Amino acid sequence: MPPEDGAEHFADAVLRQSSRRGFLEWAGGALIALAGGSAAARMVLPDDAEAYTNFCGHTYTTGNCPHPTGLPRVDRYSYPLRAGDGHPVDDLGRPINAQGYPVDARGNVLREADGEPLSPAPRSKVCTAAGAEHGLKLQIDGSWYRCCGGRVRRLMDCCGYTSRRINGDSALVGYCYSGRNVFCVQYYETNIPC
Amino acid sequence: MLSGLALSAMLTALVAGIAGAWSPCGFSMVDTIGTALGDARRPATFVACTTFTAGAVLGGALTFGGLASVGELIGGPAGGVREALGAGLALAAAIADWRGVRIAPQIRRQVPERWRWTMPLPLACGLYGILLGLGFTTFVLAFAVWALAGISLAAASPSVGLLIGLAFGVGRALPVLWMAPGMRSGEGGQRLEEMAAEPRLWLGLRRLDALGLGLCALFLSGTAAAAAPLGSDPSAAGEQLVWQPPRGPGVLRVGSGRTLTLPGSYPAVSRSSIAWLQNGVITVARQGTLAVTASFSVGQANALALSDEWVVYRGQATGGSESLAGISLINPSGPRYAMRSRPAGQIGRPGLDGSTVVFTLNTSRRSAIEAMNLVTGARRLLRAAESGAAFANPSLLHGRLLYERIDRCAQQLRIGSMDSATHDRVLLSLPSTVRRDPGYQPGYEHNWNGASLCPGGGAGGGGTIRLGATAIDASAVFVTEIPQNARDAQILTLPG
Repeated sequence: MPPEDGAEHFADAVLRQSSRRGFLEWAGGALIALAGGSAAARMVLPDDAEAYTNFCGHTYTTGNCPHPTGLPRVDRYSYPLRAGDGHPVDDLGRPINAQGYPVDARGNVLREADGEPLSPAPRSKVCTAAGAEHGLKLQIDGSWYRCCGGRVRRLMDCCGYTSRRINGDSALVGYCYSGRNVFCVQYYETNIPC
Repeated sequence: MLSGLALSAMLTALVAGIAGAWSPCGFSMVDTIGTALGDARRPATFVACTTFTAGAVLGGALTFGGLASVGELIGGPAGGVREALGAGLALAAAIADWRGVRIAPQIRRQVPERWRWTMPLPLACGLYGILLGLGFTTFVLAFAVWALAGISLAAASPSVGLLIGLAFGVGRALPVLWMAPGMRSGEGGQRLEEMAAEPRLWLGLRRLDALGLGLCALFLSGTAAAAAPLGSDPSAAGEQLVWQPPRGPGVLRVGSGRTLTLPGSYPAVSRSSIAWLQNGVITVARQGTLAVTASFSVGQANALALSDEWVVYRGQATGGSESLAGISLINPSGPRYAMRSRPAGQIGRPGLDGSTVVFTLNTSRRSAIEAMNLVTGARRLLRAAESGAAFANPSLLHGRLLYERIDRCAQQLRIGSMDSATHDRVLLSLPSTVRRDPGYQPGYEHNWNGASLCPGGGAGGGGTIRLGATAIDASAVFVTEIPQNARDAQILTLPG
């Protein structure tokens, strides 16, 4: 994990003071502008794609939730999807059909050398699995929506009672409630054009 | 029990160690320890001999055990290439040693003489022993030493490497032990002079080494040839291995390496019997004669496991569901079910040891390896994961569980106790076959996304080889490697 510079820490600290980002986009911006960090202000409170980190719509620096194929794209129930095409994948990252069996690019069930279908594997909610991997009980609290690639994208924080986020440093409040903080982030691609 | 390779490599190492006595350091050691630097007390020589021997054995173990460990770490889908290279190296060295070719590359270095004067004799001799035992810190007196390094690497078995190292260390110490104690009486000195005047003895030892290396090459090439039979679903017992080729009936390979086509498919083998499936009938026969001892009509089935007490099969119902059942060979009656009516693919291929059947039960909610005692019906959960990993292809022998654990980053072949995963060892690790993105979208600021990455691997298409069915016997484990074209599946043999 690369160390963060002071501006980023300051930005995250600002956000930590509130659970509602709408307010902070105003108040935080003012504070940072006062601090003289115009570049930092652009970084912290983005209004264009360049300010997002790792993927479109993700503000601030909290890391991705562990995901079988990389980018933390999930379906509406928080199960993992392959980011490139939205195909459902199991916990091993294999594209699967509706019954959970691994399939090839054409949707045919993959088979063992003796013709037996490949066994299904567990498919877990990404947030819950992140918690299990790090010994935490995590859940989705609030979320935020942004326009990404012509569709509305829902940014979801994976929250828990933890002072540390997946990056290893202090966790933010983000979209979390009731004293929970953001441990890692994921997103859901809606079908709504924008 | 020692394998042929281990035994021949040990003897070669012992002789190569003895041949090292004809080096400048070898002579110096006898003289240094035998005269005890003028100390008239015999115990001084005795202690120096002891520390020198301990050092030499330690040095040998470090070099050859270390190389074998590196070979094990490299592991991977060598498919017999590594063994073939090792065999080639051993053969080349054997020819060179037989012909007495001048050693090249030669290491023209000696142990530090100043240690004799600056350290207590036992300590200096202990350190000298380590340096000579290491093999490559001073003059090398036989190509066998280079070849043994390659053999250790190719064998990829730390235990074999350690045995080679121990034998080499003992070999380096033997001439010292033989001559040094007699130096004062003159007898040892005479032996040393005879040795110095007679290079033919050294050349004779190199010829012995050549013979040993020839045997090593033979065993290694046998391993290379045996490493990758084309097919899947191995089953092993004693020196018998059976498997299912991509097409046609099963194949039996006996200890001599001879293969035999069986009358049916999905073969399985136990210590005394062999079984196959043909037209819905399981046939059990004696090994060697293939005389039929029992047959059971079971309908459609697609996997068999066999012990001397039970035969277990995975049956297929007309609706596509599958079940797992066993039939006693001692007291045959109706089938005893280990698992009933599951969708195809959920019940894994069974493994059988005595009356205990092991199998995976995989759904999208949980992956597990279960065991069931077919006599009592008692079930046990051996390994399980509800997220992040899947288990596959277990085999069982005398409480040792061989299985595969697959997660989003890697496929691992593991072995351990069936009672606990605490001390499981990874025998083979391949990258996941899944294509992964880099965890960030191109064009966006790339910040911390470590959770999206796999250790030692980033984005990309993943591996092309998938691990398949396994088998285990007393001295080796077998695993199927399935490339993208499953018809090219092959069975790897690894030291157990």
